[in-house]
Amino acid sequence: MNILERIAKVDRRIIFLLVGLAAIIPLLFPIGLPVDITQPVKSVYDTIEALPEGSIVVVSVDYDPGSEAELFPATLAFIDHCFRKNLRVYMMGLWPAGIPLGNIVFEELAPKYNKVYGVDYINVGYKPGGAVMLLSLGRNVADVVATDYAGVPIDSFPLGKAVKSAGDISVVMTFSAGDPGILHWIIYFNARFGTTICGATTAISAPRQYQYLASGQLTGLLGGLKGAAEYETLVKRKGRATAGMDSQSIVHVLIVIFIIIGNIILIYERRKK
Amino acid sequence: MLETIGVWIAALLTLAIYSFLYKDNPFYKVAEHIFVGVSAGYWAVVLWSNFAWPNLFEPLVRQGNLWYIIPIIVGFMMFAPLFPKINWLVRIPLTFTMGVSMALFVLQIVQGDILPQLQATFLPLAGVSPFQFISNLLIILGVIFTLIYFYFSKEHKGVLGGAAKIGIWFMMVSFGASFGYTIMARISLLIGRLYFLLHNWLRLI
Repeated sequence: MNILERIAKVDRRIIFLLVGLAAIIPLLFPIGLPVDITQPVKSVYDTIEALPEGSIVVVSVDYDPGSEAELFPATLAFIDHCFRKNLRVYMMGLWPAGIPLGNIVFEELAPKYNKVYGVDYINVGYKPGGAVMLLSLGRNVADVVATDYAGVPIDSFPLGKAVKSAGDISVVMTFSAGDPGILHWIIYFNARFGTTICGATTAISAPRQYQYLASGQLTGLLGGLKGAAEYETLVKRKGRATAGMDSQSIVHVLIVIFIIIGNIILIYERRKK
Repeated sequence: MLETIGVWIAALLTLAIYSFLYKDNPFYKVAEHIFVGVSAGYWAVVLWSNFAWPNLFEPLVRQGNLWYIIPIIVGFMMFAPLFPKINWLVRIPLTFTMGVSMALFVLQIVQGDILPQLQATFLPLAGVSPFQFISNLLIILGVIFTLIYFYFSKEHKGVLGGAAKIGIWFMMVSFGASFGYTIMARISLLIGRLYFLLHNWLRLI
């Protein structure tokens, strides 16, 4: 049995172990590989940079802990940017489990920038109904939002009173892991009310969104952990996504090597037959 | 203290799930069953407290708005097929659902998806930079050749067959990009869990 035949019969658990090590070692000993900025991510950054102070940004937390690894670092970097720019953040969610994750971001960042709940930021909670809800929200927010996530009447907050319809919203930023999510915001909210939509989505969903970037319906996009790392780089806030990019790159190299070896073995076996 | 306990439970369950990579084992099965049970319980609470109670039962019970009995009755009609004598009643909620869906989705998807995407395909080839020319041409040809592949009213032979083959190549590039992103997503999830174990649990980073 030659070396190629031996590799072809290698136990898959050895491959799992190698992938695990390739992910763990760079986390323990960071290499600091550079993170290139792509245009879709730069567009999100530029959109926020261009907003005047006090503008209202809707942050829709449309994911749950299953996608937290990719989308939570992006949420953290984005809201950090909004607070730094003195924008007002109006958080809501199309997924119920996203709301507590959004609150964790506020708990971490609000004290850092001395932001006041109800004035500079608010969380109006989970809003069911998908497309129907978004259309109602754009026409008249009061039809959909009566209280914040804790059940306090929305009119008791200055920021709650400030958002009456889509016209009061400067940008919608959706952190989306699927359905309902970024597509609903694009197809229903942007098409109906013309509001600028930016998005962050899981890497699996990212290719589907590029057509909307090309058509201009989506202004910018953070795709997966890479997009989050790029945004962290832009806002100069090295976080979990940047830390993970070393691992991401090393594992990708390893997978490419596996694919090449696999193909060499395949060609060898075909010729042998 | 509570947070520490939570972190330990999450870490041990994470390791139990990953133990499946070695082989199927009781630790994995316990974690799997806990996940399914917790998910079912969580969704039961969410459906009641976020959907049913605030949208239906609260206006009916607390505010005494009797109109809300109608959606409850219409909702119960969904179970009509269980009773052969009145199974025709299911048509009422189904018709209502279909009507709303048609009104909402057809118009909005045409306005919000199909038309803007068509518009985005009609790209200029004159008066643009060489890079933009190539980019626009690729999009136009990609759409045309891919659509030809899905034209089944004529046998894929000759020019049509050749164009359909080019369409396959465009789709292969698209699938390759999607596959690459899929790998990135899976690795990101692994990194997320490893970060949790190394940072929140072991405090090594």
